[in-house]
Amino acid sequence: MTEARPAGESTRNLRRDKHVVALLGNPNTGKSTLFTALTGTRQKIANYPGVTVEAKVGHMQFENTELTVIDLPGTYSLAARSPDERVATEALLGRLDETPKPDGVILVVDASSLDRNLYLATQVLEFGLPSVIALTMVDVAKTRGITIDLEKLSRAIGCPVVAVNAPKGEGLHELKATLHKRLHHPAAPLSLEFPPEFVSAVDALHLKLADLGVTLGYTPTRPEALRLIVDAAGPLFEEAHEAGGSAFDEEFSKLRTQACGGKSAALIEAQARYGRISAWTREARTQEKIEGRTLTDRVDSILTHRLWGTLVFILVMGVIFQSIYTWASPLMDLIESGTKWVGDLVGSNMADGPLKGLIVDGVIGGAGGVLVFLPQILILFLFIAILEDLGYMSRAAFLMDRLMSRFGLTGRSFIPLLSSFACAIPGIMGARVIEDRNTRLTTIFLAPFMSCSARLPVYTVMIAAFVPDQKVLGFVSVQGLTLFAMYWVGVLAAIPTAIVLKKGILKSKITPFLLELPSYKMPRPKAIALTLFEKGGAFVKRAGTIILAVSVIVWALSYFPHSQEITDKWESEREKSSYPLKTGSKLVGEFGVGIYTFEAAAKLPEFQKALAEYKLIGVRYSERIAQIEGELEEGQREREIARAGEIRAEAYTGLQRDLGRYKFLAISEYADAEIWRDERLAEIDSAEAGEHLRNSYMGRMGRTIEPAVKPLGWDWRIAMAAIASFPAREVVIGTLGTIFNLSDADETSEPLRETLQKAKREGSDEKLFSLATGLSVMVFFALCCQCAATLAVMRRETNSWRWPLASFLYMTTLAYFGALVTYQIAHALGG
Amino acid sequence: MTPTVLSTLGVGRKARVLDVGGDAQLQQRLLEFGILPGVEVRLVRVAPLGDPIEIEVLGYNLSLRKNEAAHVHIEALP
Ligand SMILES: Nc1nc2c(ncn2[C@@H]2O[C@H](COP(=O)(O)OP(=O)(O)O)[C@@H](O)[C@H]2O)c(=O)[nH]1
Ligand SMILES: [Mg+2]
Repeated sequence: MTEARPAGESTRNLRRDKHVVALLGNPNTGKSTLFTALTGTRQKIANYPGVTVEAKVGHMQFENTELTVIDLPGTYSLAARSPDERVATEALLGRLDETPKPDGVILVVDASSLDRNLYLATQVLEFGLPSVIALTMVDVAKTRGITIDLEKLSRAIGCPVVAVNAPKGEGLHELKATLHKRLHHPAAPLSLEFPPEFVSAVDALHLKLADLGVTLGYTPTRPEALRLIVDAAGPLFEEAHEAGGSAFDEEFSKLRTQACGGKSAALIEAQARYGRISAWTREARTQEKIEGRTLTDRVDSILTHRLWGTLVFILVMGVIFQSIYTWASPLMDLIESGTKWVGDLVGSNMADGPLKGLIVDGVIGGAGGVLVFLPQILILFLFIAILEDLGYMSRAAFLMDRLMSRFGLTGRSFIPLLSSFACAIPGIMGARVIEDRNTRLTTIFLAPFMSCSARLPVYTVMIAAFVPDQKVLGFVSVQGLTLFAMYWVGVLAAIPTAIVLKKGILKSKITPFLLELPSYKMPRPKAIALTLFEKGGAFVKRAGTIILAVSVIVWALSYFPHSQEITDKWESEREKSSYPLKTGSKLVGEFGVGIYTFEAAAKLPEFQKALAEYKLIGVRYSERIAQIEGELEEGQREREIARAGEIRAEAYTGLQRDLGRYKFLAISEYADAEIWRDERLAEIDSAEAGEHLRNSYMGRMGRTIEPAVKPLGWDWRIAMAAIASFPAREVVIGTLGTIFNLSDADETSEPLRETLQKAKREGSDEKLFSLATGLSVMVFFALCCQCAATLAVMRRETNSWRWPLASFLYMTTLAYFGALVTYQIAHALGG
Repeated sequence: MTPTVLSTLGVGRKARVLDVGGDAQLQQRLLEFGILPGVEVRLVRVAPLGDPIEIEVLGYNLSLRKNEAAHVHIEALP
C-alpha cells in the first residue's frame, strides 16, 4: 500500500534536508496561532486561483533542517464537496502550483473535542505521510474534566502526539524535535477496518486508476481511490472520467454498488473512522464528572438568550456601525487633507498642463481615493477579528440565521451586509466566512446595495438643497425622513434581488448550516494586529492598482482634448480684465506731469503709499465686522456695525483731506477696478474649466446620453457628473461643482447648494433642479454601483470579471429605472 | 422510547441517534460531524427566532437548522 512516488520523493528530500510540512486541522483549533509561533510573523500568502481560500507559507529552522510550513485552510474532512474544500486535499497531495508538495504533516487536534478532530486525522494518516499530532486546547479540555494520556494515545494511533499551547509558547520545541525525527523515520500509513467488499472495491478501483495513470499524468494513491468511491466527485473524478470515458464510468458505478451493498458509502466511511476513534480514545482519555456548567455554556445562556442575547446583539452591531462612522471620519479627513496637501505641494512645483493634471488629479487624487477607505476597513476588521477570536461571530450567525434564511442567505451573511452600510469593500471581503459558494456570491452581490458612507455626501447636498426643511406631525423632520428613506431604497431593492438570485442562477444544491459553536476564548492583540496589517495591505495592493488606473482614465476623458482655442479665448479675456487698470482716468493727472494712465501712476511711490492706506481702511473695516459677528449677539450688533461704518467714513474723509479730492477719487477708482479684475479672473477660471469640461470627451458623452436621461429630469451636466463619478461616487459632488462653474466645491459649502438651486436648464429660464430632480439623483446614487474599488474587490474575491460586470450592469439598470419612476411620480405630484 | 427526529427534541433532553438521512451531501456532512447511529446527543438550546438549534455531540457544540435536524432519527433517552 505504500506508494512508490511519495516514498521516492521523501528519500530525495532527506539528503537535501529541506522539508515542506503542511499544518492541517479543523477550523478554530489553533492552527494559525501555532503557525505563527513556529515561523514568526514573516508570512507569505498563497492564493489559489478559482477559490477564495488561501494558505500561508512560512519558514523555520530546526538544527540543520530547513522547514517550509504551509498553514492550510481549516477543514473538517478531506471529502471533495466544494472547490474551496478541495484545496486542502489538493495541497496535501502537492497538486497545486502555488504551494510546494508537503513531505510531512502537522495535524492540529483540539483536545476538547478530540473525537471529531481525529476524524480528519484518520483521513490524513491514510496517506502515509510522516505526521505528528499537535494536541492543542489541553487547558480547555482540563476545565471540562478531560485528561488525555499522550503516551497511550500516540501508541494507539501509531503517530507521535505532542501537547502544545502556542499562545503560551509551550511544547513548541518538543513538537519540532518530534517532527524532525519523524521526517527521517517515516511510518506506515494507517489502515482501518472497512467491510471486505468495500476494501476489494477500493483495491480494484485503485488498480483501474493506475491503468489510467499514463493519461492522467500521475498515479492516484489508494486513499484517493477510497475518496472517489465515497464522494463520486472531485477533480480526480472528472479527470478519470475524461481519461477513461464511458468504460471507466461503467466500471466505476459497478464498483461503487459492489462496495456499499445498498448501504450509504458515507455511512460506511464514518462508521469505520469513528469506530477506530472510539477505540483510541477509550484507552487514552479519562472524563471526570464536572459539577456545574462550563463557562461557555453560562455565557451562552445570556448571549443567545431570547431577550438578553438579542439586546447584546443589537448593542454590538450598533457599536460596530457607529464606530465605523465616527472613528473613521477624522482619519478619513486626515487622509483627504493629506492627499490635498501632497497634491498642492506637487502642483505648485509643476508647470500647468496635462502632466500636472494627470499627476495631481489623476494619480495623487486617485491614490487618495483608495486610501480614504482604509480606516473604515481596518476598524471593521478590528471588530470582526476581535469577535471572531472571542467566538462571538458564530453566535451572531446562530442568532441571525432564521431571519437571513428567509432571503435564501445564512446567518453568516449578516455581518458582511451590515458592515456594507459603512463600506461595501470590507463587507465583500468579510463574506469569506460563508462556506457555501453560492450564498457567498449572493452576499457579495448584495453588499453594494447597502447605502455606504460614500453615498452620504450626495444625500446631504441634495437634501439640503431641495427637500423643504419642514416637520410633519410636529416633530418628524422631512429632511431626516428623506435620508432614512434613501437607506431603505437599497435594502428594499436587495431583498427581491437575493430571492431571485438564490432561486435562480445561484441556487445552492444544499446549504447545510452545520456550524460549530466553539468555546469562548480571549482575543490575542498580537494576532489581531497581524490580521489587520495583512488585510489592510492586501486591500491597498489589490484595489489600489485598479482604482488608480480607472481614476487616471476618467481624468483623461474629462481633460482631453483640452482645445487650445478655448484656452486662447479665455486668455484674451484675462487680459481684458485688467484693461481698466491700465487705461486711465483724467484724475490720474493729479499725480504729476505726464501721467495719463493708471499703469504709469501705479509706479509712483506716492500712489502706491496712498493705495495701501486706502486698502487698509477697507481691511480694518471688514475685520471689525467679522469680529462683531463672531462675538456679539444679534441684537447688539447693529449699533457696533453702524459705529464701524462711521469710523471707516472718518478714515476716508481723513485720507481725502491729506490727498486732496481728485487724487483720492483716482485711488478709489483704481481700487475698485482691482476688485473687479479679481472677481472677473475667478469667473474666467471657472468658466474656462467649465467650457473645457463641456468640450471634453466626458462632456461629449454626457451630451450624447442626454436624451436618455431627460426622463430622469437630468441634463447633460448631471449625466456627465454621474459618468465621471464612476471611480468613486462621492466624486459627484466635486464634479457637479466644477461643471456648474464653481472651482472648489465640497459637500458643506453653501455656494454649491445655492448654485444647484439657481442652475438653469441650458438655453431656457427654467430651473434645472427641483425636488423631483433632486430625488431622482439621490435614488440613482442609492442604487448604482459607482465605485471602482468595490468592483475591483469583487473581481478579486470572485476571481472573475463576471460578477463585478453583472453587478455594475444590474445596479445601473436598477438605478436608472428607480430614478425614472421617482422623477416621473414626483414630477406628476408637482415636485 | 418511541423513535422520532432530532428537530422535535425538547430543550435539555438527551437522545440516541438511530439513523441519519437526507440527501448525500447533508448526510455526509452530518456523519462527519459525528452524528452517526449509536451516538448520544443533547439539545442545548433553540435560537431566539425558533431556528436553528444547538446540540451537544461528542463533547462539542454544533448548530444546525431544524430542517436538517429532521433527517436525524433518534430515540429520546430519559
Ligand atoms: N486555551 C487555548 N487557546 C488556544 C490554544 N491554541 C490556540 N488557542 C486560541 O484559539 C483561538 C483560535 O486559534 P486560531 O489559531 O485562529 O485557529 P485556526 O482557526 O485553527 O487557525 C485563538 O483565540 C487562540 O488564541 C491553546 O492551546 N489553548
Ligand atoms: Mg486560521
